[in-house]
Amino acid sequence: MKTASRILGTALFLDGFEVQDAPRYGAERRGAPLFAYVRASRQPINERGVIRRPDLVIVADDTLVPMPAAGVMAGLGDFTVLLVNSQEAPSVWKDRLNLKGPVLTLPATAEDRQELRFAGAACAGAAAALLGVVSRGATERAIREELGPLGAEVVAANLERALAAFDLMAGHAGCVQEGTEVSASGYRHPEWIDLPFEDARVAAPAIHGAATSVEVKTGLWRTMRPVIDYSRCNRCWWVCSSFCPDSAIGVNAEGRPQIDYEHCKGCMICVAQCPPHAIEAIAERAAAAAEGGRP
Amino acid sequence: MSETRFKRMKDLPSGHLLGSGTPMCAGCGGLEALHEIYDILGEKTVFVNAAGCMTLLSVYPFTPFRGSWLYTAMASAPAGAQGVRDALDILLQKGRMAPTDDLEVVVLTGDGAAYGMGLSATSGAIERGLDFLYVCYDNEGYGNTGQQYSGATPHGARTATSTGARGYPGYKKDLFSILAAHRPAYVATAIGAEPLDLARKVEQAKGLKGPRFIIALSPCPTGWDYDPKDTVEIGRLAVRSGVWPLKEYRDGKVTHTKIPGARLPVEDYLKTQGRFAHLFTPQRNEALLGEIQGRVDAYWQAVG
Amino acid sequence: MTRILLTGNRAAAWGARLARADYLPAFPITPQTEIIETIGSWIDSGEMDCRMATLESEHSMITAAGAAAATGARVFTATSSQGLLYGMEMIYTVAGWRAPFVLVNVSRGLASPLTLEPDHNDVLATRDSGFLQIHCATCQEVLDSILMAYRLGEDARVRLPVIVNLDGFYLSFTREPVETPDPAAVDGFLPPYDPENVRFRASAPLSQAVVVLGGSPYSYFRYESHLAALNALEAHEEIAEEFARTFGRTYGALDTYRTEDAEIVFVMMGSFATKAREAVDRLRQAGRPVGCVRPRLLRPFPEEGLRRALAGKRGVAVIDQNISMGKGGVLYGELASALYGLGQAAPVLVSFIGGLGGRDISAEEFYEMAAVTRSAAEQGTAPPPRLLYTLDELREVRKLQAIAHVERQGLGEES
Repeated sequence: MKTASRILGTALFLDGFEVQDAPRYGAERRGAPLFAYVRASRQPINERGVIRRPDLVIVADDTLVPMPAAGVMAGLGDFTVLLVNSQEAPSVWKDRLNLKGPVLTLPATAEDRQELRFAGAACAGAAAALLGVVSRGATERAIREELGPLGAEVVAANLERALAAFDLMAGHAGCVQEGTEVSASGYRHPEWIDLPFEDARVAAPAIHGAATSVEVKTGLWRTMRPVIDYSRCNRCWWVCSSFCPDSAIGVNAEGRPQIDYEHCKGCMICVAQCPPHAIEAIAERAAAAAEGGRP
Repeated sequence: MSETRFKRMKDLPSGHLLGSGTPMCAGCGGLEALHEIYDILGEKTVFVNAAGCMTLLSVYPFTPFRGSWLYTAMASAPAGAQGVRDALDILLQKGRMAPTDDLEVVVLTGDGAAYGMGLSATSGAIERGLDFLYVCYDNEGYGNTGQQYSGATPHGARTATSTGARGYPGYKKDLFSILAAHRPAYVATAIGAEPLDLARKVEQAKGLKGPRFIIALSPCPTGWDYDPKDTVEIGRLAVRSGVWPLKEYRDGKVTHTKIPGARLPVEDYLKTQGRFAHLFTPQRNEALLGEIQGRVDAYWQAVG
Repeated sequence: MTRILLTGNRAAAWGARLARADYLPAFPITPQTEIIETIGSWIDSGEMDCRMATLESEHSMITAAGAAAATGARVFTATSSQGLLYGMEMIYTVAGWRAPFVLVNVSRGLASPLTLEPDHNDVLATRDSGFLQIHCATCQEVLDSILMAYRLGEDARVRLPVIVNLDGFYLSFTREPVETPDPAAVDGFLPPYDPENVRFRASAPLSQAVVVLGGSPYSYFRYESHLAALNALEAHEEIAEEFARTFGRTYGALDTYRTEDAEIVFVMMGSFATKAREAVDRLRQAGRPVGCVRPRLLRPFPEEGLRRALAGKRGVAVIDQNISMGKGGVLYGELASALYGLGQAAPVLVSFIGGLGGRDISAEEFYEMAAVTRSAAEQGTAPPPRLLYTLDELREVRKLQAIAHVERQGLGEES
């Protein structure tokens, strides 16, 4: 997403806009969901930080949409355009999320894991088209600038996806409207409070309990899911269970390893280490579909 | 030890470079070692000083140095040496300084900084291959603040913070081995009371590039509680009793440069100093004396 | 001269590159690390003739920086937050050496609790050290301020090290269009460093950073540093004029925005001040005469400029992105002392604390601060200092406390 925001930012800049783009990192490490944002204007930009009222929201991983923790729906207004990298139809998303604004989908890179690494470029290409003010040429140059250091092959592969997405969205060019800023004459007053004094036993940054981290569902980091084929499993649970860095493989009453999908981050160490090759990596989407529900 | 121009005591420099008039205590074993070192290093040096007794070598407007000096702080003199060395190299390389203006960079530190707070900066300097000489005057305690125990204090010594009957409960850290484990260009122990051995070591170090270390045991009349006139005698006893082995590390090997033939009993050394008086009066602490002697014996047995 | 998109961190690296810094003592810390990585890559590719040494701590890094400056090299270094504090002994120490160099601090809130996002308590902890401080609001200003900082620190009237401050995330990781000046023009503006007689040479023995005994010489040396810091105001004005002539961008000690006819003025430092500008425009659209003053220099503190800019205004909302426990906003206290004695012309000062640890300040909050300040001015008395904090935020904290098993019983609350 950082790459996507940079491509879009550079494309806007090349077409004469003032631009601000930034990724937002948390304390989480590789694999955790992250987001990035781009502002553009014909005037110098004074606003800063996370965009509170976006005109366009692009979701590269549609499994994040229903996760409240991912916060992708924050700030979506009636006129915000939502673009989801998804095989499901826009109308499905619109109904599911009960949205008033336009919803579009980008099916090309949603399913295939190999294609996933081009999702950023595809999203950037699609976004450039939707804005209606960024040329195809600028989008192309932006990709060359941003990905150039990675080599000609990477550039070519990303260009192909980005421009395909650009062309796919051409029919919706200009559907993103520049929103208005909050007026100083009729604004909602902030609900400021006087922060009360509280005893240090409450107000120190201390956790008075054990292993509260299990409340963090890191399962949503996963794009691939390790699935144990118990017909081949040797029950040598000490291999997969010991090597799993996240304590996400336990042993059930029958002595079989069992994966905790709420927390499995999808690193696939278990797949790599399983002596009888009984653990298979399956695309998360396919696994969820097979289960008959969403992850 | 390779070829040396210091074969006899008469070969030692007779003119002395380090200026008189410093505020160091009368009879300071550290200053004795420093002036012997300085005579051989010469004035084309910049001393980068860590906090310790010798912070006070230069008190505005007086300095004993004929070369240059920079006072830094307790923990980071090796980093100061890094900055000076790097800047000199940069200026030389860019032609902004005459090659004749180059300086040897020398860290001067007490044991408090060397064995404790400054250890990580020293380790970092070795890992970066810094070309510098590092001189530690080791008077076995935080001398500048009144001789509290440091990581260099020997077992059983009474200090301002170990006043009980058993003295300091810890053991002197083996800085020589800690430094040698980094595999730098050179590490040596020395003492001002053995000037010929010291001169040869400084001469060796001066001829090498990279991180080089000299740890000089520095008898301290104030902190060790003895008459200043005994500094040299006590220093000799430290060597002859085997308490302070004189040795050097080079090319992965440790060599003892002066092996005491018939080692004197350690108590001959201990009883000269008030800091060990509680081992002898009101009655002899045989257990502790035995332990200290045993450790020295074990050391020499191990090194063969 | 080219205009490119740069993060604040890369703009800082460009500043060092264009200033032809000789030496980079470094140590990684979020959110600064991109600066040293960028310069490191330029050294590796031969684009920058600089030597980099990664020290084993910021304490050592700042020692090495000061020592190299004291040897006569042009030095650049960078850190953030805990790193700045870890090096704090040396921040104070090297400032007294009178050997100038530039340190970029990428602001980040201080522990405890540990955090990653910005506020200004880290850089303010160095307030009294003898380092000059330039606070930036845009990525462009970061680059430009580094060039100006070398001129300022190396000026014969000053000879002090300079901290150039930028906010983590809001500038460090944010790309904006930045003009990278023509190197030849920079060389004209910033000639090579002349260390004068402060440098180590075999032919000229020098003992630096020597101890003094007694309060009298100590007072002399300390006050001389203070006078040098004060000189930096005049020097900065001249340097800023020359910078504007050369590069076409003007930077005063204060950045004032629409203050001439303003009745209410926001005063704040750092990148959030551009948000205040945005709010000023919206408030003006709604017919409210509001302006904004952003001190770029915190040390030296432009007291006279502030008096001129704020005398006769009705109210001033001081927005501190920092907190001094047991006192309140640092800038508020600084400003109050600067405006003391203005009599009738003194505006009512209202203290707000916001943006701690990167907590955003919304447009509505700026409007509300203007309204609160306006009403304080009308009543002639200021309300108590206000932390920008909403009921929703407290509710969120309560949820976190529930997870942390914080026992709230017996606190006299309704359940």
